[in-house]
Amino acid sequence: MSLLLLILVPLIGGTLAWPLGRTYPTACRLLCLAALGVDLAIAIPLLHGPADLSEPGAWLAAFDAPWIPAFGMDFRFGLDGISWLLTVLTIILGMFSIVVSWRDIHHGTGFFHANLMWSLAGTIGVFLALDLFLFFYFWELMLVPMVFVIAIWGHENRRRAAIKFFLFTQGSGLLILISIIALAFLNASQTGRLTFNYFALQHTALSGTASYLIMLGLFIAFVVKLAGFPVHVWLPDTHTEAPTAGSVILASILLKTGAYGLFRFVAALLPAAAHEIAPVALWLGVASILYGAVLAYGQSDLKKLVAYTSISHMGFILIGIFVFNTLAWQGVIFLLIAHGVSTGALFIIVGAVQHRLHTRDLGRMGGLWTDLPKLSSFGTFFILAAMGLPGLGNFVGEFLILRGAYAAAPAVTIAAAIGLVPAALYSLIAIQRAFHGPADPARAVPDFGIRENAMMLLLAAAIIWLGVYPQPVLNIAGPALGNLTPPLQTAMLRP
Amino acid sequence: MNAAPLLILALAVAALLAVICIRRSHLLATGAALLGLLAAMASIPFALRAPPAMPALFAFNAASLGFMFIILAAAAVILVIGYGYWQKSLGPREEFPLLLLIATLGACALTAAAGFIALFLGLETMTLAMIGMIAYPRDRAAAEEAGLKYLILSGMSSGFLLFGIGLIELATGSLSFAAVLAAPGDPLLLAGLAMLGVGAGFKLSVVPFHFWVPDVYAGAAAPAGAYLAVIPKLAVLAVLIRLQAAGVAPSAGLLHAVTIIAILSMLIGNLLALLQENFKRILGYSSIAHLGYLLVAWLPAWGLPAWGLAAGTVARNAVLFYLVTYAITMAGAFGVIASISSPDEPRDADRVQDLRGMFWTRPALAAVLTLVLLSLAGIPPAIGFIAKMYIFAAGIHTDLWLLIGTMVASSVIGLFYYLNIIIVMAQRPASAAATPAGIAWSSRAAMAALSALVIGLGVAPQPLIAMLRWMFP
Repeated sequence: MSLLLLILVPLIGGTLAWPLGRTYPTACRLLCLAALGVDLAIAIPLLHGPADLSEPGAWLAAFDAPWIPAFGMDFRFGLDGISWLLTVLTIILGMFSIVVSWRDIHHGTGFFHANLMWSLAGTIGVFLALDLFLFFYFWELMLVPMVFVIAIWGHENRRRAAIKFFLFTQGSGLLILISIIALAFLNASQTGRLTFNYFALQHTALSGTASYLIMLGLFIAFVVKLAGFPVHVWLPDTHTEAPTAGSVILASILLKTGAYGLFRFVAALLPAAAHEIAPVALWLGVASILYGAVLAYGQSDLKKLVAYTSISHMGFILIGIFVFNTLAWQGVIFLLIAHGVSTGALFIIVGAVQHRLHTRDLGRMGGLWTDLPKLSSFGTFFILAAMGLPGLGNFVGEFLILRGAYAAAPAVTIAAAIGLVPAALYSLIAIQRAFHGPADPARAVPDFGIRENAMMLLLAAAIIWLGVYPQPVLNIAGPALGNLTPPLQTAMLRP
Repeated sequence: MNAAPLLILALAVAALLAVICIRRSHLLATGAALLGLLAAMASIPFALRAPPAMPALFAFNAASLGFMFIILAAAAVILVIGYGYWQKSLGPREEFPLLLLIATLGACALTAAAGFIALFLGLETMTLAMIGMIAYPRDRAAAEEAGLKYLILSGMSSGFLLFGIGLIELATGSLSFAAVLAAPGDPLLLAGLAMLGVGAGFKLSVVPFHFWVPDVYAGAAAPAGAYLAVIPKLAVLAVLIRLQAAGVAPSAGLLHAVTIIAILSMLIGNLLALLQENFKRILGYSSIAHLGYLLVAWLPAWGLPAWGLAAGTVARNAVLFYLVTYAITMAGAFGVIASISSPDEPRDADRVQDLRGMFWTRPALAAVLTLVLLSLAGIPPAIGFIAKMYIFAAGIHTDLWLLIGTMVASSVIGLFYYLNIIIVMAQRPASAAATPAGIAWSSRAAMAALSALVIGLGVAPQPLIAMLRWMFP
């Protein structure tokens, strides 16, 4: 029941916020914050909840009710360590995205917050659903509100960005739909009962070709969502044109649904086929890392630069997932969270810069350290964190991935590690061009206030904590990895 | 008396004529028509239980009466939408409910037809009344042109139909469907059936019989457009599905022809919709594409033995579900146009740019239209999503991969123009000053009911699925 509440609270909160925001914008913001606070209060205790599940694996909570019996579709939710971590990340970054837009959104406040909350509800649903059709339902549900956020409150090219985002994710979503229907019908032809239950479908006996095609449909859709090379083209535009809160949610949360899908619905659902595509996936990961890093280096738009670094980091995720060993998988989950925090912070900073200077062009910045010392120091800190500076969260994730991957695919790992060089380059260039150099004497803008400082301090504390003491996260994720079927180790991979 | 719904409708037509003669009142006429539709709906449960009375002309069974229920409900909603629309007009308005009622009588007769006589009578009653509905706004040249176009083209399709019926009569010596079902594959009979197919294709507006659609949809007043987009398709498909369920064995040629028609309809409908700037024309082309989707499920609904036993049932339910979804969403889309248009203006507010800024000027109506468009695009939580899933299920179940692939590709094309309309609605209004005119309470009620259906059945489709399964066990 509490799992259903986790989804309903933001859904209802957002729906109530819409009419409220037309007359009382502040009350609407507070309501959304309160709803997410309640959601967090529901989510946190679940970590210690009793696992009263008949299904195998380390599940923390479950919910099950019939939905469309004619098709064997259920409201089937399950929470394990991975879902818990990602859900909590979603809720917390959702709160940040509301706080960050406190002063930015003056037009259609209620509708903006409604969309934000609906998108969060959909995302939480994606992380919890264990019925394939229900999963797809939420997958689609989280998308449309985000399109609105981009199309209405985005920057100058918002319309084009919104349409691009919509077409890419929605079009690839149809592949998911076809794959899950095909899987369910193949299963029904064996058992005589149509069902979309995740656990039932896991036991479908599939021929090699069928399994590969089904897996391919899911794989493509999730890689599009993850913005892996070569289907990343929607990401730079979308992340750049979205309002700050939208960019935070897109980069910190929505990208993660792609990784989650690859884990739960590719690697764990169709392990044999997933192993078959692993070499392709690994080299796509390498391509993403290098391509994202090189293009980030070439950007003059600060927000676009951050967007391209996301592509680069998601390449590590792709590699980590498809080497199929526990170490790398731990690293993937860790990097998902660390990247969520650091990139979220970076988008908040870029948004703050744009709010003050009305430009994202690096050429027109420079010398910000003189004018905005707090903003610049936080900016430097988070850029270094994203670069993978030891002692900060991202380093732990990337290190675990590379360490795990080396045993399975040394060539891929070496190529991926080369990507760290351009990463250092673009990071330092960005710091140098934005914050250093001579200041513009005509510039008179306020530095971070209490609200922004508080947000930054919290996020910075989280990154440091993740970097210095990563064990709690690993402990939560660890048992859940068992749910993803025992990794077949490295035997099937050839470098 | 199991012909009760038809008799009640016929009585209602007569009563409505009398009402108009006695006192010209739009409210009274609409009320009388609505009462007739509701009474016919209420009589359906009794009609189901009554013993069969007119075996030669009509077949009243769960399938046909269920379809009748859907048609009557859709007609009632369109009637209410039409009331709000014509209420804004100063000219005579009372004949519109009358024409609507007559057309609905024809549609119901067509739905229940057991032979070609009832089929032709029903079809012509419906078509002739609809021509009146299309050309109703007499001051609009576009409406008259549309009416004339529909008259000529539907006359041509009736010619095909009659010729086909003649050939079938020649081949089988009978005018009942039962004789066709029993006859072997006589070439004359096949030629006749092909002619019938042309006639049906025209009414369903699938490629290559689609040329009239955008012009007529755009020229007709919004409520007439809604009727035109929904009711004839429901009625004609009702007959086709009933024939199919009765066990007409398809030839390979027919299957290929339907496949090609479906592919062309999906692609051409969606591609041409991309080029339009008029919302009604977009809906016209979109309806062509949607009928193409529907055929993807209609094909496996033949239930060939090679596809396994359940395939036919799943596919038939998919067709029915899609049809109901299509009716709800099309009525909703035209209903929104009707709500913001006035019949005395030279044209309806039907350009996409007319919708600009609707999220800020009329948020509730914009939310309704967004839901409708999401449903047309097949995105949750709207009902269209479940409907599309149903079609995919039917096609995948029977390995129609070419059709499924085309459907995916053309759906992606479709997303573009649906989203474009939503984004136009979300833009800032062109002129901030003018407060929009109010919307009639009747239109509000109809729109609220339709959006409740779109989202309610999208979240919990089980009741509708159960009803459709009862119609075609």
